[in-house]
Amino acid sequence: MSAVISTTDLCRFFGDEDETLVKAVDHVSIEIERGEFTAIVGPSGSGKTTLLHLIGGLDNPTSGSVDLSGTNIAEMTGTALSDFRRDHIGFIFQAYNLIPVFSAEENIEYIMLLQGVDPAERKHRVSEMLAQVGLEGLGDRRPNKLSGGQQQRVAIARAMVSHPEIILADEPTANLDSKTGIALLDLMKELNEKHNMTFVFSTHDEKIMRRASRLIHMMDGMIELDERK
Amino acid sequence: MLLFKLAFRNIFRQRRRSLLTAMSLIGGYVLCVFSFSMSEGSYNNAITFFTQDHTGHIQIHKEDYLLRPKIHKTIEAPEELSAMLDANEEIASHTLRIFAPSIAYSDTDNTPAQVIGVDLDRERTTSTLAAKISEGSYINSEIDGEGYYSAMIGAGIANNLNIGLGDELILISQGADGSIANDIYMVGAIVGDRDSGDRATVFLPLATAQEFLSMYDAVHEVSILLEDDGRARAEAEALQELLPDLSVDPWQVVEATFYQSMQTDKQGNAVFMGIIIFIVFVGVMNTVLMSVLERTREFGVLKAIGSRPAKLTLLITLETTVLALISVLIGLLLATPLILWFTYAGFALPEPIDVGGVLMSHMTGELSLFVFGTPLLLVLGFAIVISIPAGIRAALNSPTEAMRSH
Ligand SMILES: Nc1ncnc2c1ncn2[C@@H]1O[C@H](COP(=O)(O)OP(=O)(O)OP(=O)(O)O)[C@@H](O)[C@H]1O
Ligand SMILES: [Mg+2]
Repeated sequence: MSAVISTTDLCRFFGDEDETLVKAVDHVSIEIERGEFTAIVGPSGSGKTTLLHLIGGLDNPTSGSVDLSGTNIAEMTGTALSDFRRDHIGFIFQAYNLIPVFSAEENIEYIMLLQGVDPAERKHRVSEMLAQVGLEGLGDRRPNKLSGGQQQRVAIARAMVSHPEIILADEPTANLDSKTGIALLDLMKELNEKHNMTFVFSTHDEKIMRRASRLIHMMDGMIELDERK
Repeated sequence: MLLFKLAFRNIFRQRRRSLLTAMSLIGGYVLCVFSFSMSEGSYNNAITFFTQDHTGHIQIHKEDYLLRPKIHKTIEAPEELSAMLDANEEIASHTLRIFAPSIAYSDTDNTPAQVIGVDLDRERTTSTLAAKISEGSYINSEIDGEGYYSAMIGAGIANNLNIGLGDELILISQGADGSIANDIYMVGAIVGDRDSGDRATVFLPLATAQEFLSMYDAVHEVSILLEDDGRARAEAEALQELLPDLSVDPWQVVEATFYQSMQTDKQGNAVFMGIIIFIVFVGVMNTVLMSVLERTREFGVLKAIGSRPAKLTLLITLETTVLALISVLIGLLLATPLILWFTYAGFALPEPIDVGGVLMSHMTGELSLFVFGTPLLLVLGFAIVISIPAGIRAALNSPTEAMRSH
């Protein structure tokens, strides 16, 4: 079985070639298989966010490559990269980051609109996703009328609705209380198993980490430990 | 459609800010429409005034008579030309004229006078001469019982010579053959008042004037009124083709000084209005930039989840353009009754003003596509132009900023 995500000697340095040089990601080579539920953990500043950005094509590496299902996105730019993200990667952000002027349903629908999915199919998939994240009946609410946990559920639905191969989540539970956070992670895990989608998320939280099937420990931009359960 | 929805909602998200922006756009638009209406209206009034008064829409002369009038630069055999003009469907009417400087005498006084021989019947339908008569009535071309032909004289001449209706008028001039021309006429009507443009003119029946000046049946000028005043240039060109030996000119050439000063003035006005709208838009630009900077994170997210950068630029442009369009539509609703009133009622000026040499005491506006459309294009054009920098700013937004928690 081939890797969905594969990085080779991936580096992302900030600053100049002197004292100020920060090696945020330093020669990282990892392979993540389809359907894995992977947590990237490590202390603050260890490079978790930077690595997720590189994998998601939001940032360009200093050197090395990122292959997503055989496509090297390190060399993509502009519209091609935008379209690739739209079609292959779902993002979940720490601060939810829903579009405030759109209702929950419209937020979920947005990516499908960009993709040109036909209206009946969109409607069907939106209500299906709302049900799966447990928000039936709340679809017409705007984000400011939803709790943090509910907003993050909408964000999960938004990330998953177009069936991307990879879901990337940078500290998805950090803004939630621990009970809500754990419930949310259980939901992610359930959807991961049900749809066999590949999840990569970062976290500080011990209780959250325990739910991952694989833990990649980072330190100073490098992989310190890679453990599978 | 998606972008439209997003743009619309973003406009209504910052109600107060959008309202203020819209108000300045509406104000700029209405001001601009009013100003265009005023300048078009007053110039069109001036144009109507002198084309009806005497110029007509098109004039025909021999050679450069317009620039250097000489008595011998005549249009020969004008009957043929007249018949042709009568047959032309585009032409409402035309009249034949001759001109000569002269000195007018009464028993006691003398004064310089411009003699104009006019085809009385044709002049009546082509210019407002008949309407300008202040005393007496429009003359005929018959000789009267005492052997005099009649003349209509400007009020200035009547005053200078101290003569009135029924008095004798002596004219002395030089004939086309170089001879001294002199004759006595009977005052049949007085034209205008002492301030009008005709105050120093003597109008004679055409044949009488031709005989006085030994011109046989030649004339100096044919003045034409068209059915459609907008066709002056085109019809002048068409007539010129048919009359290669004569010079056919639209009013824009006949009244070149007026026309040029009008064009300059209108362009100045357009530039001035452009500047006003630009100033309005400096404020708008500031608002648009601010709204983009506030939404850095949002644009980052939109980009991260797969919106193309160009779409974000388009979104900002749409937001501004939609707001501008709404403002212009409201402006149109407000300006329409104003311009209707201005066009059909207008207002009296406390002091008459000079519009390209024509005195105006009542100001009316113009209601036209130009008056409403030009400011509309200005506003929408500026909206698009000023939203581009902000739009590019949004497109260049780094999505990594959005994913970074805080
Ligand atoms: N744009 C940038 N410019 C300069 N340095 C940066 C930039 N982004 C990240 N860094 C540095 O790179 C290193 C890794 O940062 P990163 O945000 O990836 O860490 P992290 O593991 O996500 O930390 P946290 O747990 O606090 O979110 C840090 O030292 C950070 O200061
Ligand atoms: Mg981080």
